[in-house]
Amino acid sequence: MRGLRRWLRLVAVVLILAGIVTAIAFPQAAWNAIQLPLFAFFSTTRMVIAYLFALVFAIAYGHTAATNKRASAALLPLLDVLQSIPILGFFPAALIFFVATFHGHPIGIEFAVVFLIFTSMAWNMAFGVYESLTTIPADLEAAAASFGLRGWLRFRYLAFPAAIPKLVYNSILSWTNGWFFLVASEIFSAGGTEFQRPGLGAFIAVAGRNGDVPSIAIGIGVLAAVVLTLDIFVWRPLGAWSERFRMETAPGREIPRVPSPYERFRWLPRLPKVRKRIIARVQPAVERYHRLSMRFERAYSRHPKALREIRRVDLALFAIVFVVVVATGLVGLVQMFLRPLPPNASVLPSAAVLSFSRLLVAYAIALVWTIPVAAMLGESEKAARYLTPALELFASLPATALLPVIVGFALLIAPSVGAAGQLAAILIALFSMQWYLLFNLIAGVRSIPDDLKEAARSFGLRGRAYWKRLLLPAIAPSLLTGSITAWGAGWNALIVSEYIQYAHQFYEVPGLGSLLNHAVYPTPDNEMLLLTILTMIVVVLAMNKLLWRPLFRRASTRFRLEV
Amino acid sequence: MQVKDVAKSFFENGKEFKVLDLVRFDLSERDFVCVVGPSGSGKSTLLRIIVGLEKPTAGEVLFEGEPIRADNPQVAMVFQSFALFPWLSVEQNVELGLEAKGTPLEERRKIARKFIDAVGLTGFEDAFPRELSGGMKQRVGIARALAIEPLLLCMDEPFSSLDPLTAQNLRDEILQLWTNPDLPPKAVLMVTHAIEEAVYMADRVIVLSSRPGRMIAELEIDLPRPRNRKEPEFYGWVDEIYSLIV
Repeated sequence: MRGLRRWLRLVAVVLILAGIVTAIAFPQAAWNAIQLPLFAFFSTTRMVIAYLFALVFAIAYGHTAATNKRASAALLPLLDVLQSIPILGFFPAALIFFVATFHGHPIGIEFAVVFLIFTSMAWNMAFGVYESLTTIPADLEAAAASFGLRGWLRFRYLAFPAAIPKLVYNSILSWTNGWFFLVASEIFSAGGTEFQRPGLGAFIAVAGRNGDVPSIAIGIGVLAAVVLTLDIFVWRPLGAWSERFRMETAPGREIPRVPSPYERFRWLPRLPKVRKRIIARVQPAVERYHRLSMRFERAYSRHPKALREIRRVDLALFAIVFVVVVATGLVGLVQMFLRPLPPNASVLPSAAVLSFSRLLVAYAIALVWTIPVAAMLGESEKAARYLTPALELFASLPATALLPVIVGFALLIAPSVGAAGQLAAILIALFSMQWYLLFNLIAGVRSIPDDLKEAARSFGLRGRAYWKRLLLPAIAPSLLTGSITAWGAGWNALIVSEYIQYAHQFYEVPGLGSLLNHAVYPTPDNEMLLLTILTMIVVVLAMNKLLWRPLFRRASTRFRLEV
Repeated sequence: MQVKDVAKSFFENGKEFKVLDLVRFDLSERDFVCVVGPSGSGKSTLLRIIVGLEKPTAGEVLFEGEPIRADNPQVAMVFQSFALFPWLSVEQNVELGLEAKGTPLEERRKIARKFIDAVGLTGFEDAFPRELSGGMKQRVGIARALAIEPLLLCMDEPFSSLDPLTAQNLRDEILQLWTNPDLPPKAVLMVTHAIEEAVYMADRVIVLSSRPGRMIAELEIDLPRPRNRKEPEFYGWVDEIYSLIV
């Protein structure tokens, strides 16, 4: 611990010195940097607010879908569609809606940003809750029923704790997603105007547009620091805590946690004095909560009928809103297709093909490097210990924040401006996709049981035969899971990657993403906007239904490792 | 308690699968009844119907003259898989049924301690289920069931996920608790596939046939307690039930 403290002091000194040197060398950047803590605070606050909404939504939605059969028939397919469509495509529409609602007041932009982050966080969390609630062991369910746990008590003792492991796991994923969208949404051009709110994302984007390299570096550095700090002090402890709520009957087949050096920071909450003070502060609140929950339960059991009625009304309202939204959407669609299509609609198919092939190239590159690296990291404790932190640091940076760096890099090595645009678009897609593949694959390699590996060794399987007979089949399910998430992220990346402003110049490649950008800026063209989003949704849904779903079904029956 | 002509079927693809047919028996105070049958005889389904977790397709279960309900605090259940809540400590698990009944905190704690003592787990109140061995987990399950002071205790193969030695110890301890008149319950209904276990513990054994489960016999085991597995009379009963099933 003393060694660690000395280290921290050294790091602090280096940071301060570096700060002073930068301030003298680049006064403009230093002035910007002073605002950064405030920007970081604003950005984080947006994330937290969006996350809290997502949490409440996920629990309510997942719980309803798991307990009400009739509602789940509508809720599940809806969630499935929401999860797979590239949300970023809807952002201009949402932004215009919120800004109009608040008569151009900046609070409207805030609402739009928080709403966008919410939509990037909520769906997988809701699925997590739904999955946990439908996989509660039958005996535990029976025990709860036979000991009279109903209503609020059942939620508090059975449903909520059972959902915690998946909820925390998905929260971490959602949080990563959230950063990606936060950075993309704090500054946005739509309807001929530019909307901007103070925050880290906007800071980095503006620095990129101006080609201001030191500001880009500082912005990304601060963002990385914020992301990592939250990871170390919030998500990792939460992840460790959530292990307590795992069912024993279904031992952790899910994702074995990658060991990390950050865990050594876990001594922090163990400081006795701090701990005592926290406990003294928290204890009365916990007791109040207990008393409140008892009172709540008593109220609940006194009016079961009224509550059932409220629930029914809730669901009915949801059904009405659902039907109205779907109906207006369909009417709008029919109307649009009854009118002649706009002339540039003819470029949609070729744009879709171009965008798709760029994602395909990025996916191929990602596969080529992640599979061997995952095999190495999964098999060797030592390699994992030294390489994982570096990889996690990289992965913690959302691709949207790296955008200026990637474009700068592409300009440096590409022979022409056009080629630089293509390269940048592919690289941004690659950076959005590769981490999902890598971390899913590592988990897959780690979940291969030791006795299978030993059996393979003892029968002399080595080299190609080992890969073909054990490694590749065993990681097939996690490869698919990783691929599905990676493609989801890729489609979103498309929207920001095909039309980039860097150092006062525009870099553009033909594709769905750039069509979308042209449809909102400089002159809004709602019809093209809608058609482009529709094309994207059709391609994504077709891929999910025709490719991923069948593959996943096959992989999960044939290549599942029984424990 | 009366079990009246209970039958249960499952429907799959429009086809009917009968698991239980016309099961009928009575339970009264100081009864220790075992239901035995081969696998697929629907014993566990029967127990779930008796405690009200499932509805029978035909017939009914009456408890003190009323149809049974799942949250009836007079009936408690012990599970084969223990069904302990992994996120609650031993004491919180035992308090579960009391909390659902609305017993005040102080009293809850007192009752929970009493039954944790009774099953010999003193000192483990704050342990979590995953830290306990199988035998200790089932003791928690039993303490949790007894804590709501039920009239009827239902046990679904309570010993079959334990190793033989632990199981035998726990059987003897349950019989010991059973002979203590100060402790609940008034009657025990246990489902098992181990014939020896049934003969060792029960006053009455109900034998079910396989697929669908029909009652083949209802036998009074009049051996004196404590019973000795080595005696020829004991083996006479075991053989008789065995021949009924096969």
